[in-house]
Amino acid sequence: MEFVHSAAREAQLPEARINELDLLLEEAVINVCRYAYPADRPGSLILTCTIPARGELYLEIADQGVAFDPLAAPAPDLTLDLKDRPIGGLGIFLLRDFANSLSYRREDGWNRLTIGVSAGC
Amino acid sequence: MLPQQDDVSGLIIERRQVDSWIVFVLSGRMTAESAPEFERDCNARIVEGQKRVIIDLGGLRYVSSMGLRTFLAIAKTLEDGGGILRLCNLTGLVKQVFEITGLKKVIQIYDSAESALIGG
Repeated sequence: MEFVHSAAREAQLPEARINELDLLLEEAVINVCRYAYPADRPGSLILTCTIPARGELYLEIADQGVAFDPLAAPAPDLTLDLKDRPIGGLGIFLLRDFANSLSYRREDGWNRLTIGVSAGC
Repeated sequence: MLPQQDDVSGLIIERRQVDSWIVFVLSGRMTAESAPEFERDCNARIVEGQKRVIIDLGGLRYVSSMGLRTFLAIAKTLEDGGGILRLCNLTGLVKQVFEITGLKKVIQIYDSAESALIGG
């Protein structure tokens, strides 16, 4: 996390956006832990930060687990009442909402999710 | 009774009893790591017979989907058992996350612990 924070400061992202960056990173990493690698087959995750310009940061989360495109996951129904509402399924929704851009590709056995974060919302 | 306090991976949990309500005061960060510990703590009180729960989020600076999952699970457990969950003092990212996920519509939310206690 410190690595991402120092990249965010280098990119001159405001503190409030860094808190949101933590959220984006946690949701993306939870997805890898939950979907990419079964419990009996742990694997690696590579995190890369790129700063294309001041006020912009890209996070790439790469894993060699089961192919999983979070962008293709169905959106949760936010209109359901408490009784009918599932307790999960909000992580990918938060990823989509808080990221300025989100892209996924499957490449040579790797899942590569790229999250773009800008100084503005 | 003095408030009880636990520090779990960046999450501070205080709890106190006010009449028939148990009031949890959370501060810090509710992450995939710390949310399950709070859920266990809260569920243990519900199993002991607490049916009226207030969670004060005034000091909480961060919540991820695992935290939201915890609040939803507690709300469902209480509703199934005829209990009530009220949250209060949401600010910043926490307030924003509750708004965009529509959880404000399914969990009772109040501006302060005082208003949560009286329900108005």
